[in-house]
Amino acid sequence: MQRISLEQRDDWKTQAENLGFNFHTIDDAPYWDESACYRFSLEQIENDIEDPSEEIENLCFEVVQRAINSEEILTKLAIPTDFWDYIRASWFNQEKNLYGRLDFSYDGQSPAKLLEYNADTPTSLYESSVFQWLWLEQAMELDLIPKGCDQYNSIHEQLVEAFQNMHRNKDIDGKLHLAACQDTPEDEGTVRYLEECATQAGLDTRFLFMEEIGVDANGHFTDLDDMGIRTLFKLYPWEWIMTDDFGKAVPQSGVTFIEPAWKSILSNKGLLPLLWEMFEGHPNLLPSYFANDPSAANLEGDYVKKPLFSREGSNIEMIRQGEQPLKVAGPYGEEGHVVQALHPLPVFEGNHTVIGSWLVASKPCGMGIREDNSPITKDSSRFLPHVIY
Amino acid sequence: MKRSKSLKIALMGASVLALSACEEPQDVAIFENADQCSQQDGFDRASCEENMQLAKEEHIRVSPKYTSVEDCEADFGSTQCEIAPVQTSSGGSVFMPLMMGYMMGNMLSGGSRVATQPLYRSADDPKNFRTGDNQKVAGKTGVSKVPANVAKAPTTKTSTVRRGGFGASAPRTTSSRRSFGG
Repeated sequence: MQRISLEQRDDWKTQAENLGFNFHTIDDAPYWDESACYRFSLEQIENDIEDPSEEIENLCFEVVQRAINSEEILTKLAIPTDFWDYIRASWFNQEKNLYGRLDFSYDGQSPAKLLEYNADTPTSLYESSVFQWLWLEQAMELDLIPKGCDQYNSIHEQLVEAFQNMHRNKDIDGKLHLAACQDTPEDEGTVRYLEECATQAGLDTRFLFMEEIGVDANGHFTDLDDMGIRTLFKLYPWEWIMTDDFGKAVPQSGVTFIEPAWKSILSNKGLLPLLWEMFEGHPNLLPSYFANDPSAANLEGDYVKKPLFSREGSNIEMIRQGEQPLKVAGPYGEEGHVVQALHPLPVFEGNHTVIGSWLVASKPCGMGIREDNSPITKDSSRFLPHVIY
Repeated sequence: MKRSKSLKIALMGASVLALSACEEPQDVAIFENADQCSQQDGFDRASCEENMQLAKEEHIRVSPKYTSVEDCEADFGSTQCEIAPVQTSSGGSVFMPLMMGYMMGNMLSGGSRVATQPLYRSADDPKNFRTGDNQKVAGKTGVSKVPANVAKAPTTKTSTVRRGGFGASAPRTTSSRRSFGG
């Protein structure tokens, strides 16, 4: 694993804008950054990222299986009582999941350590699956990188295939509605891209904003044409659905959600202590505890404190011996915290680097890399492409 | 190769692709009631009644719903509406058009891909039967062919009583956010 400085394509901004990838630059700072790329060997990808991702996904299923049958665990995860049966049903009915991203700290040598699982509302998808792929093809053509390079990235193919399967097996029956929150261009862009994938899979789709969803007299959700919603892809966290006004209508609405409700167990930071409790010592896991659990005292040395529901690095606190805690501001934390042993991100030329390992329909199929000047990555962290050679 | 073999240029914004799946038209049968059905060659009374009962149950679920009888009659004509056996969340009445017939698979050709469902006649096109999601079926009873999408169970056209119940839990910050995801 190396960081290689590179020449940029002259026209990449124009290309990005033509494709609708408009947030390539944020407040004059680059978000898409092709002034460098990361190089991996095929062994590193397959042995250190792909295989562990598949294994962790299977461990996660064991956690879900255990959590749904334990009132104690569901309470610890701060999941409202009203949704316990609904989450159980979503698991027993095998409601299909579409995608997720495991975030790893990995330096190319020692085992990748799982930092968290963005199982419910992952973003940075388009830049991973499409824009990074285009970069690779063009960078080879322009001789910026050697011919014959590869990339760990069949995300787009897998997304279209996953939608095709859901279409064929009637997991999506009729129209697929897709929703994001208003005034969140990145989320809307991600959902528009997924809509495009669904269309390529032959599905009939309709985009709308979460705020636009209505409810009819029978408690069914409706779109802006007053048509009933049957299947809803929502880039909107389950824990917010559960506390929203319309949340109580969800269990009786007859709507199939993507991601399904059982993903709320995996996107919860409480997943980390549950994994550690069940699979302590696993090479890809870090010691983690619920913050209010007395065994959290087992955690020696430096650690990170994370709210159960945090997204995009918000409210994460890094506590190192003899140093002021490092904090990211944000709105989360009332719901409780977990603590996790600190495994600092590797530093390449002053940049802190995190690996996002993508799964589509639970199959590992690609990778995106984020860099930050600070040891905690957040929504403004730069996205860099990668190559295998 | 660890990467996608090809990529139809995938846009983040509006789709430029217009795909349409071509499916075979489906054989269906349309009747006003079970008596009419049982007089059709190849249709037995038991199946006719069973399918009509099914359509009546579907009628409650898939018929267009209105919170005022005037709105319903504007679409379906005077005295062509009834009170639905459901209420709005605030306890108000809900109205729906009368079921004017039903559609089922053609028993002579299998017709297994046809969803049995109620049919309606709208005020602006009273000659034709329409499905619950307002797709034209045919003007006459008996066996007929319809596009495959019409033979599917209707997506429910309904009447929204309230919007805006999602979104309130999203943290409101003064700085602009690009994303709530992660």
